[in-house]
Amino acid sequence: MSPAGLDEALVAAAKDGSTDAFSRLVERHQQAVRAFLRRTCGDWALADDLAQETFLAAWSKIGRLQAGASVRAWLCGIGYNKHLTARRGAARSRARDAVYQAERPPPAAAFAEDRLALEAAMAELPPEQRACVALCLAADFSHAEAAEALGLPLGTVKSHVSRGRARLLQALGGGDA
Amino acid sequence: MREAEDKLAALFALDEPPPRDAAFSAEVMEAVIRREFQKDVALLSAASLVGAAALWALWPVLQPAIVAVSQGLAPVVAGLALAACAVWLLGSRPPEPVEVES
Repeated sequence: MSPAGLDEALVAAAKDGSTDAFSRLVERHQQAVRAFLRRTCGDWALADDLAQETFLAAWSKIGRLQAGASVRAWLCGIGYNKHLTARRGAARSRARDAVYQAERPPPAAAFAEDRLALEAAMAELPPEQRACVALCLAADFSHAEAAEALGLPLGTVKSHVSRGRARLLQALGGGDA
Repeated sequence: MREAEDKLAALFALDEPPPRDAAFSAEVMEAVIRREFQKDVALLSAASLVGAAALWALWPVLQPAIVAVSQGLAPVVAGLALAACAVWLLGSRPPEPVEVES
């Protein structure tokens, strides 16, 4: 069975109330959702919390997922909205677990400087542009899939990706792209 | 240029969580099941409250009817109870020992 076909079968079973099917959807998509949120918000602990909230919201809303829609894009869309809500609620009083941050692999010495430069450049991007970059450059989302996930027009996504890419390459010493 | 693109790809790869993360999946499913349980408890509580309120509101009408019906049915219920007791007592008697001829 193709990955999309398997997703459809799992979604159909989850719509009928199967927590086992939903658990398999979580296993299949946790990497994409967490990676997207880590790149979008820059804080791994917060990103993983948001990913958990994303899946919880997805369980409640799975009945509304249209047949044939990309599950990955749908989940990232929910995650993006969670991220925007978290950004707005600046006074988010959560105890951050330092162990979570320690989980982050220490960058190799040669990478450390570049990593900091990339993080700084990503932090400077506007939220929409950052999300487009996280989906299309860092993950293998097509522009159309990213547009569907973020609820943005296709042209806007293309322009965000192009501008974001240029800024990141510039930050890494790659010129104006 | 190519070097910066490769570097970008390598740096992005550092953010990737593992393809399978049993701890994360278990946490999510625990939260899902907890939410389902809370939903069920809330639903049952609401149903119980509605039932109790309906019973309270209808009690003045129900009480005389129950009393009238129970008086009429009392001999039948008593007979049935006796029969049930008899069946239960006879059914739970220990089996008679089997005599073995020598």
